[in-house]
Amino acid sequence: MTPRRGGRWWARRVVVGLVVVAQFALVARAYWADHDVFGFQMFPESSRWQAEIVRVDAGGTRHDVRDPWPGGYRWGDLVTARGLGDPFSARHADTGLASTTAFLRASLDWVARNTPDDPETLYLEAVVTLWHNGRGPQTEVYRSVTRPEAGAG
Amino acid sequence: MRTLQRWLDGTGDLRALVPLRIAAGPLVLLHLRPFLADAIDGRIYADTFWQPYASWYPELPRAGYVALLWVTAVAAVALSAGLFTRVVAIVTAAGVAYNLFLSQTHFHHNRAFLLIVLIGLAVLPVGRWGSVDAMLRRRAVPAPAPLWPLGLLRFEVAVAYWASGLSKLIDGDWWGGLVTRLRIEQYGDLAASRGVPDWMLEIAGNAGFHWWFAKVVVLTELAIGVGLFWRRTRLVSVWLAIGFHLAIEAFADVQVFSLAGLAALVIWVTPRSGDRILTVHTGNRSARRLAAAVRWLDWTGRFTVTTAGGTGRPAATLIDRPGADGTPVIRTGRDAVVMVLRRLPVTFWAAALVPIRTERRRPPSSTGEVRAAASVEGVGG
Repeated sequence: MTPRRGGRWWARRVVVGLVVVAQFALVARAYWADHDVFGFQMFPESSRWQAEIVRVDAGGTRHDVRDPWPGGYRWGDLVTARGLGDPFSARHADTGLASTTAFLRASLDWVARNTPDDPETLYLEAVVTLWHNGRGPQTEVYRSVTRPEAGAG
Repeated sequence: MRTLQRWLDGTGDLRALVPLRIAAGPLVLLHLRPFLADAIDGRIYADTFWQPYASWYPELPRAGYVALLWVTAVAAVALSAGLFTRVVAIVTAAGVAYNLFLSQTHFHHNRAFLLIVLIGLAVLPVGRWGSVDAMLRRRAVPAPAPLWPLGLLRFEVAVAYWASGLSKLIDGDWWGGLVTRLRIEQYGDLAASRGVPDWMLEIAGNAGFHWWFAKVVVLTELAIGVGLFWRRTRLVSVWLAIGFHLAIEAFADVQVFSLAGLAALVIWVTPRSGDRILTVHTGNRSARRLAAAVRWLDWTGRFTVTTAGGTGRPAATLIDRPGADGTPVIRTGRDAVVMVLRRLPVTFWAAALVPIRTERRRPPSSTGEVRAAASVEGVGG
């Protein structure tokens, strides 16, 4: 005799099916997304990266972010996550180059938007050197959003 | 198909998950430690670069966020103790999830793995055994629990292994050994500082070694992720998983992943408990010690321990689960002891190497003990 298939019988199957499908989708997504979230591609690369980051003022002058910064800001105080706090010497890209460089680009924008006491900087720029699994180097340049505060002082 | 239906609709005994529930508290504290340390110093995530997943994700005020971290930590401690287990398990999982999804910079695979385990503990009734709740309720035999959440938890935990292995299998740099060789070059000092001997590091520096080593790593991850699902390969997979996590801990900084991975291995214990009956002779001192040891070390609730006197009885008799022919397997003396040690969490890894010499079967339905052993036959796997 077949047991009656009530609401709970179906609910269990729907929940299990949804979780399994969502998990497979996340595993597949990790193959193209910058950030592998629940895709579990652990230790994906042994790549390295290094960046020179400058502030560019309205006159086009480039200032190394390691030098004194209007407003008293310091790169290492503003950006601490994902190994981005000290990008100036070559280091391992823990979660791969795609993820690391995506975070670096986002951090440039975040710093540009969250340094209100700096009246000088128009945008930040990073010149990034990448070694993908020992190959390279390859150079890329990332630029932050433009700051409306530049020239205000 | 029938196995899938049993997992979807069946019930079982989840006492084996108690060690995972107890371990969850320290794991969560370890995971929260950097966030709590920052909070003590007056810093939170929003003071430095962070990146939300979505603009609509709710942000708590500073004091609220810090309070959430502490509430989560307290709930994790209560989860270990099994105090108001269901509530604190949900609070712990929700607190860790909120913090994890607050910023993309918070995400790490080990944290995702921990969250999966915590959600499993929140959904499963893991406070019925070895808990303050159980002591207060004094209910002798907890009701069986639905198995489908455990099945989902098993699936999710296995994904961490096979998805990782699959990504490496189809990556030429990984399969060819380049990634591991470069990694050893970069992290050799870390491994040495963690006690990996020089001769091992010397071998690990050889390029030819890595051609083979990478394949071993990839196939190990796949073997764990797939092998855990089948009863015949499960013990080998658990063995591989232990070595895998210990090796990762030596060569990489993976936060709570190794500890969480090791603790989570108990989810692969068959969800039946007390269905192996160990009878020890009251007149034998060693057998009485064995009984005491089993009562202390049987953290996953595999055994029912009984005593018997009289002459002509072996010092220890183990009535195991029914074999392929449906007859409970009887082991006595040394073989019984070895089999018991093979099923205790702290000894199984070593006892698995000791062979079982003989096997004796008792005709079915001859004694009450055999009927008891047979009656607990339910969902396997």
